[in-house]
Amino acid sequence: MAIVNYINKEIQFKVVYYGPALCGKTTNLIYIHGQVADTHKGELVSLATAADRTLFFDFLPLNAVVIKGFKTKFQLYTVPGQVMYNATRQLVLRSVDGIIFVADSQWDKMEENIESFKNLQDNLAKQGNNLDQIPYLLQYNKRDLPNIAPVHYLEYILNNRRVRVPSFEAAATTGRGVFASLNAISRMLLQKFAREHDTLTGKQPPAAAPAPARTALSGIAAATIRR
Amino acid sequence: MQALPIITLETANELVNALQDYLDKSEASFALVIDRGGAILSQCGKIPDGADMTVLAALAAGSYAATRELATRVGETDFSALHQEGHHMQLLMSAVDDSVVLVTGFGAQTTLGLVRFYSARAVPQVAGIIEKARAAQRPAEPIFTSADVAAAFRR
Repeated sequence: MAIVNYINKEIQFKVVYYGPALCGKTTNLIYIHGQVADTHKGELVSLATAADRTLFFDFLPLNAVVIKGFKTKFQLYTVPGQVMYNATRQLVLRSVDGIIFVADSQWDKMEENIESFKNLQDNLAKQGNNLDQIPYLLQYNKRDLPNIAPVHYLEYILNNRRVRVPSFEAAATTGRGVFASLNAISRMLLQKFAREHDTLTGKQPPAAAPAPARTALSGIAAATIRR
Repeated sequence: MQALPIITLETANELVNALQDYLDKSEASFALVIDRGGAILSQCGKIPDGADMTVLAALAAGSYAATRELATRVGETDFSALHQEGHHMQLLMSAVDDSVVLVTGFGAQTTLGLVRFYSARAVPQVAGIIEKARAAQRPAEPIFTSADVAAAFRR
C-alpha cells in the first residue's frame, strides 16, 4: 500500500521487477540508474553473489513527478530469479504496490517464464494478495537477440488472464522499452491511488483518462532523466 | 496484513516526539520507524555522515525479514528483535507490530543494555501512535485525482 506523508508531502510506492533468472531485471535498474539525474535518484544497491547474480534484491529509489504539490517516490526492487531463492522473493514482495514482470523472449526460456509467472501468483497468494489487486505489466525483454518468440506468442502464454495488461518489448541492455515500462507502471499506480483516494473521500472519480502514449520520454522519464 | 497509516502532521509530530524522548533517554544516535516493505514512516536523530536513510531502511527491512524467516524455520515463533554489532555503530531492530519495525543506531556513547531497556518502552508507544493513525479518519479532500495524474504525464 502506498505510504502518504503529509509532512514531507510525499507518496511512496514500491515496485518489484519479477521474472526468471537472467531475464534482465537487474539490467533494467542499472540502465535506469545510469540515465536518471543525480537529483532524482538514490544509490543503486545490489545484494549479489560473487558471480554478480542477485542474492537478495537490488534496490533503487527514484523521485519522480510532483502532482498537486506531492512528490511521488518510487522504490524499485528486483527479486533473485533463481528457483532456490523463493523464500527471498516472498520477502521482497512484502508491501508491493506494483509489479513489472520481465520475461525472457528467447524460445528456450518459455518454460522458465511460465514457471516464474506462476511462482509470482503463488507468492502473492501466500500474502493474501493477487494480480487482480496489484497493478502489473509485462516486459518482453531481449528483443535484440536471435531466436526469440514473436510477441503474439508471448502474449498467448503470459498475457492470458481475464484482463489483459499492458506489455512492452524491450532490450534492457540498450535501454529500449525500459522507461516505457517504468512510465506505464508508475502511471498505473498513480491512477489506482487517485481512484482509491476518490473512493475514500467520497468524491466521484473523474472520467478515465486516455491510455498512455507509449513514449519513453513522458511522465517519470521526462521528470527525472538526465539532460 | 494491516494497512499502513497516512502520516498526517499530528501523527508525524507524535512519532518524532516519541523517538526524540527515546533517543534522549537511551543516548542512541538515531531512530527510524519503517514499514516491513522498507519505507520510512518517521526518523529522528543524527544520521551518520554519507548514509542514505532510504537505502538504510530498505536494507534494514530486508535484513529483519530474512532473520525473522530464519528464526521461524528453526522453530522460533517469538522473534521480536535483531541486534547487529559493529566497531563504530550498532543497530537494534525491534518489531513494533506485524507491519512496522523500529530501527535504532547507536555508538560507543551508550550500551546495548540501555538501548534495549528504553526500546522496550518506546515500542508500545510507537505502536499506539501507529494504531491510532490507522483508525483515524481519512482526509476530507483527495490529494490528487485521476485527471491530475493524466495531466502530469502529458507534460
